[in-house]
Amino acid sequence: MSRPLRPWTLEPGARGYPASLTDLRPGERPRLHGLGDRSLIASVDERPAVTIVGSRNASGYGLRIAERLGHDLALAGITVVSGLARGIDAAAHRGALEGGGGTVAVLACGPEVVYPASNAALHERVLRSGALISEHPPGTAARRGFFVRRNRIMAALSAVTVIVEAAQPSGSLVTADRALELGRTVGAVPGQVGIRVAEGANDLIRDGAHLIRDAADVLDLLYGVGVRSPPGGPAPRSAPGPRPGPRLDPDLAAILGLLSTGCSTVDQLAVAAAVGARETAIALARLERLGYVAAEPLGGWSRTGLREPE
Amino acid sequence: MHAIARTFTLLGVDAREVRVEVDVRNGLPAFALVGLPDAAVRESRERVRAALANSGFEFPQRRITVNLAPADLRKAGPGFDLAIAAAVLAATGQLPAGALDDVALAGELALDGAVRAVPGTMAMAEAARRGAVRAIAVPAGSAPEAALIAGGRVIPFERLEQLRELGGEREPAAPEPVRPSSNGAGLADLADLRGQAGLRRALEVAAAGGHSILITGPPGAGKSMAARRLPSILPPLGPREAVEAAKVASACGRPVEPALAGRRPFRAPHHTISAAGLIGGGTPPRAGEATLAHHGVLFLDELPEFGRGALEALRQPLEEGTVNLVRARYAIELPCRFQLVAAANPCPCGCGPRSGGCTCDPAGVRAYESKLTGALADRIDISVHVEQPDLGSFTDPGEGSAAVRDRVLAARELALGRGDGRANAELEPGAVRLSPQCERRLAEAGLSAGLSGRGRERVIRLARTLADLDGRRRIAPGHLDEALSLRRRDR
Repeated sequence: MSRPLRPWTLEPGARGYPASLTDLRPGERPRLHGLGDRSLIASVDERPAVTIVGSRNASGYGLRIAERLGHDLALAGITVVSGLARGIDAAAHRGALEGGGGTVAVLACGPEVVYPASNAALHERVLRSGALISEHPPGTAARRGFFVRRNRIMAALSAVTVIVEAAQPSGSLVTADRALELGRTVGAVPGQVGIRVAEGANDLIRDGAHLIRDAADVLDLLYGVGVRSPPGGPAPRSAPGPRPGPRLDPDLAAILGLLSTGCSTVDQLAVAAAVGARETAIALARLERLGYVAAEPLGGWSRTGLREPE
Repeated sequence: MHAIARTFTLLGVDAREVRVEVDVRNGLPAFALVGLPDAAVRESRERVRAALANSGFEFPQRRITVNLAPADLRKAGPGFDLAIAAAVLAATGQLPAGALDDVALAGELALDGAVRAVPGTMAMAEAARRGAVRAIAVPAGSAPEAALIAGGRVIPFERLEQLRELGGEREPAAPEPVRPSSNGAGLADLADLRGQAGLRRALEVAAAGGHSILITGPPGAGKSMAARRLPSILPPLGPREAVEAAKVASACGRPVEPALAGRRPFRAPHHTISAAGLIGGGTPPRAGEATLAHHGVLFLDELPEFGRGALEALRQPLEEGTVNLVRARYAIELPCRFQLVAAANPCPCGCGPRSGGCTCDPAGVRAYESKLTGALADRIDISVHVEQPDLGSFTDPGEGSAAVRDRVLAARELALGRGDGRANAELEPGAVRLSPQCERRLAEAGLSAGLSGRGRERVIRLARTLADLDGRRRIAPGHLDEALSLRRRDR
C-alpha cells in the first residue's frame, strides 16, 4: 500500500546533515538512512524539534497527554521527534500528525521496516507527512541492542526531550540521560504516585527535570517564558486549545456543564440536573452525536476536547 | 431363571432407558453387577440384599448376575436399586411372571426396605410416557413432581413390599401433582435501591426486553444488590416455561415448587467455577449453572475474575439457548435460555481509574478491560455504570418492584403479541423496521460514535423495548437516542 518513495542517505558532514547530531562523539555520529521529507531533518537546526518518548505500556492518561503535547507542539510549528514504538511514542506521532505538523520517527530498524506491526498505519502516515530515519540501511530488522543505541539520535536531534511515562529502568530514561549528557533540556510529565509506569518520570522531576504540563511549558523552555515563537521566526499557526463545537440547547448545555463538575454516571447527572434517567440518557446520546462527550471504556461519561462556542 | 426390569438413568436433564437383566442360576452364591456401574450402583448389591431380607422376601443363595443394558452407557447413582430388587424377585419367582412387563421402576432402597427419593423423576416420567410402559413406579417422595408430566401414570412407592401390589387392586393410587409455591421466601424488592435512577431504568429495560446487562462500578455502588433484585420485576414463567424449568430443577435434585409458581430461577455462581460447572459436563454428564438458570437469570458477579475458559464456554450456549455436550461416551443437549447479568469493578483494584485513588498498573487495567470486552461481552446489550450513591440525599425508598413489574409486563405483552412470541432480546437482525427519520439518526450516530453491525442491531432491539415500555407501536427518535446511550460499547 505504501507509495514507493526513494530512500535517501545522509553522511555525517554532508550538506543537510543536522548540526545537532555533530554534538555526538565522532564514533557515535550516525549515517542516516531515511524515507519521506528530507528537508524536515535538515531543518531541525533552525526550526526547533522536541523529542517526546515514554512507555510502551502507558496508561490512558499518559496516552492522552502525549497525544495532546504532540498535537499542540505541532500547531506551534515544532517538529515532534519520537521512536514510533507502541504507547507514548505512537500517541505523540499521532498527535503531531493531527496537528498538521512535521514529525520525525527515529527507528531501530531499516526506515521502511514496519515495527511493531500494530503501527503499520501510523508508519505509513509518518512516511507521507513526515520523515522516518534510522542508522540502519533499508531491510535491517529490529534487534535488541538497536533500541537503546537509537535513543542517542532522538536525544541529540532535539532541543528538548520530554518523558511522558517511563518505568524505572527503561529505554525512555536512557534517552533522558543521553539528552542531559549532550547538554539538552529534559522535561517530564508528572504521573500518578504509586503507579509503576509513572515512577521514571516522577524520579526525573525529583532529580531536577523540568515539570511539563502542556505544550506551553515546553515552549517556555524553548523560547523563554511567555514567548511563543522563535525570535524572527514565523508565528505559530494558531493558539493551542480546544476547538469550539456546534451550538447547544440549554438542557444539553446543562448536562455538558455537569460533566465538568465530577459527575460521570447517568445516576449522578440525573440528580444534579433534576431530570429523569431517560431524559439524561437521551441528552448524552445527543451530546455524543455532536462530539461533545464520549463513553469511557470502563463505564461512565466524560467530555471530549470539544468546547462550546462563545 | 431370567427376568428384566426397566428403569431410567439421567443424562443431563433427560432420562435414558436402562434395562436391568437378572439371571439367577445354581452355583456358588455370588452377586455380580456388570454394565459400567459406578461406585453407588455397585454398592446397590448390599442395599438390595438387606432390603429384600427386611421386606419379607428371600434373597436367593445362588449365583446372581445383573446386567445393566445398554452396556456402554455409564450408570451412576442409587436410583437402580428398586429395579434391581424387582428383577431379582421376578427371576426367582417371588413376583408373578409378567408383573414387570409394562412398568418402569426407579428408586433408592434403604436397608429396611423403604424407598428413598431420587432426582429427575420428571424426566423419567416423561421418558416413560414416550416409551411402551403403562406406568412408572417412583419413590413416594419424588412422585408428586413426576405426576406433573401429563399423560403418564405414576405409582408412588413407599416400601419395597409394595412390589407385590403391582398391577393388582391394591396398587398405590396416582399421587397429587406438586402444588406451585414460592416456598414462602419473598423476593428482594427494588424499593431498596435509593436514588440511582439510571441503574433502575437500565434494569427495567433489561427486564422488559429480556436484554442482558453489564453493570460496572466500584465496590459498594450497589451492583450485586441491583442484580439480585432483577427477578422481582421479571414477568412470571409461562406454563410451558414453568414445566421446563421444573424439569431442570427436578433433574438437579432441587425443589420444583418455585418454578411452578412462575418464579424465574436466579443463579449466581462464584467466579472460581469451572467451565464444566458453568455449562455442564463430567461423567456422567451433569447440568451446569447455565442450565439451572434456564428461563431465568444467570448472574456473573465480578465478571473479569471468571476463568477465560469458563467465559468462552458460555458463548455458544448464550447464542443458541442450548449447550451441546459431545464427549467420547455421550452427546447430549441441555437447555439454557437465560438472561445474563454481569457485574464488574472498573479496574483490578476496584476503585476505578477516575477515582484518583486507583493504583492499578495500566497493563493490568488493559488485561482486565480485555476480559470485560472479550467474547462474552459481545452478547451483552446494555451497559450501565454506577458510582457510590450519596445515601444522605435519599431518605425515601425508591419505587417498589410491583409498580415496575406492571410496566415490564405491559411491555412484554406488547412484544410477545407482535407474533413470534419472542422477547426483544432474541429478535433476529432485520426483524425491526425503522422509520426513515430513525434510520438517518442511527446513521449519524454510527458516524460520530462508531457503531458496528452488531452494535446497530443491539441499538434497534433496545429501541424496540423502549418503545414497548412507552406503549408505542413505532420507534421514535427519542427511543433510539436512549438506546444509543444504554447500549454496551464495542471496542
